[in-house]
Amino acid sequence: MNRLVTVAEMTLRELARRRGVLLLLLLMPLVFWLIRRDSYVGQSIRALLLGISWAVSTAALFATSAARELEPRLRLAGYRPRHLYLGRMLGLWALGLAISVPFFLLTVFDTANLRYAGIAVAMLCCVAVAAPFGMLIGALLPRELEGTLLLLTVVAMQMLLDPGSSGAKLTPFWSSREIATWAVDHTDDGYLTRGFVHGLVVTLLLTVTVAGVFAVRLRRRRHLHHVPLT
Amino acid sequence: MNADEWLRTFAAELHQRRVAVDAARHVVAEAATHLREGGGDPWLVFGPPQSYAAAIVESIGTTPGPRPGPVRLHARGINKRYGRRTVLRDAALTVRAGQIAAVVGANGCGKSTFLRICAGLVSPDAGEVTVSGRLGYCPQQGGTADFLLPDEHFVLVGAGQGVARGPARRAGRTAARHLGWDAEGDLLARHLSGGTRQKLNLTMSTLAEPDVLLLDEPYQGFDQGSYVNLWDQLVRLRDEGKAIVVVTHLLNQLDRVDVVLDLTPAQQGGRS
Repeated sequence: MNRLVTVAEMTLRELARRRGVLLLLLLMPLVFWLIRRDSYVGQSIRALLLGISWAVSTAALFATSAARELEPRLRLAGYRPRHLYLGRMLGLWALGLAISVPFFLLTVFDTANLRYAGIAVAMLCCVAVAAPFGMLIGALLPRELEGTLLLLTVVAMQMLLDPGSSGAKLTPFWSSREIATWAVDHTDDGYLTRGFVHGLVVTLLLTVTVAGVFAVRLRRRRHLHHVPLT
Repeated sequence: MNADEWLRTFAAELHQRRVAVDAARHVVAEAATHLREGGGDPWLVFGPPQSYAAAIVESIGTTPGPRPGPVRLHARGINKRYGRRTVLRDAALTVRAGQIAAVVGANGCGKSTFLRICAGLVSPDAGEVTVSGRLGYCPQQGGTADFLLPDEHFVLVGAGQGVARGPARRAGRTAARHLGWDAEGDLLARHLSGGTRQKLNLTMSTLAEPDVLLLDEPYQGFDQGSYVNLWDQLVRLRDEGKAIVVVTHLLNQLDRVDVVLDLTPAQQGGRS
């Protein structure tokens, strides 16, 4: 447990010291929200959620890429792969929540007649999905530029796809859009349930995939045999 | 040759003649004080550094040669290809407790790859590595976190071994001092100079008290004094019974090693 918490703490410390990155992380959802604010309120909320998703995914991607050289030696120092990916994920989730709070308050003070609990759940889904999603891309693509371009493609796809289409359900952040519809348009509870289940399933799937990738990358190689000290 | 150069050569001579590390440090410090207070050309005061070192050795003796212990690292039949290019062919190395092994060879001959195979970070196409005890690895570059303080690196590595924060910090600072570096302070790793960053890298690899220590050109960016400190530290670790493997381009007079593995293609294979 100590190892998990230490990795989470160091992830947060590293990100907290990147003030420029933090500023951009806050700016991105804000810009998304501002651009859509004068039009339909639902669109501004959805844009805000997408901005949070993208911001946290990007932070996760960069944190994972930056730790690529460090992790093998931490593995030798006694960490197991699960300490490394879960610890980092915990740190990123905490960062995501910290980023979401001001935006949640923004919607509370700016827009009336919303189901605020729904907005909060949608933001939770964004953060929950974005951390393992960014980490997965960071783990699979060694270069940050390639990872960023892939993130951009996914978010653009998310933005352009008709949410009612079956293809949209395959995108990672569909859950927040569905829950936002429930929160903004006061639709039936089916939207909330579907969105929540989607968010949960996607988070689990992504976390398991991240676990698999890390387990392979940081595996004990077969050629190396450890024998006790003599 | 000025006084500083004379002292450096003298220190190197003492190292080469296996004078105990602490005794050598003491003698060099005494000579430096004498020169500083009395002035004069060291060549006139003490004579050639080689002769004076020989006289010192005759006077205080040398440390007994380390008696190699049990085998700590045994690599055999290591083959590695990248595409069509064979990097390593049947490379082998055995290092015992209390030995320093140097892996040498030209650029691109597979020194770092060999070390990464020994560390279990890269799989060979053939061959096996057996390690007895805990393994420590210091990469040639990278391996540190830009936005963390040195102390935080020590805490991070220490937590891997279940070491509490305070002791991990203290152990890290002590190991850093052996390399002539004061690791206290609030300078992020990205603001450290290349040599200091490499000292952080090296300190991290020794922090977990490994039985087998693998170092990939650990002295990059070091000045002469740091280089001497590094070899002092390695000799100290060897005398404590660690098995050490150092990848290096060249061996010079300071590098007291027990085993050499030359990976230059024309003469592959280990020799002791």
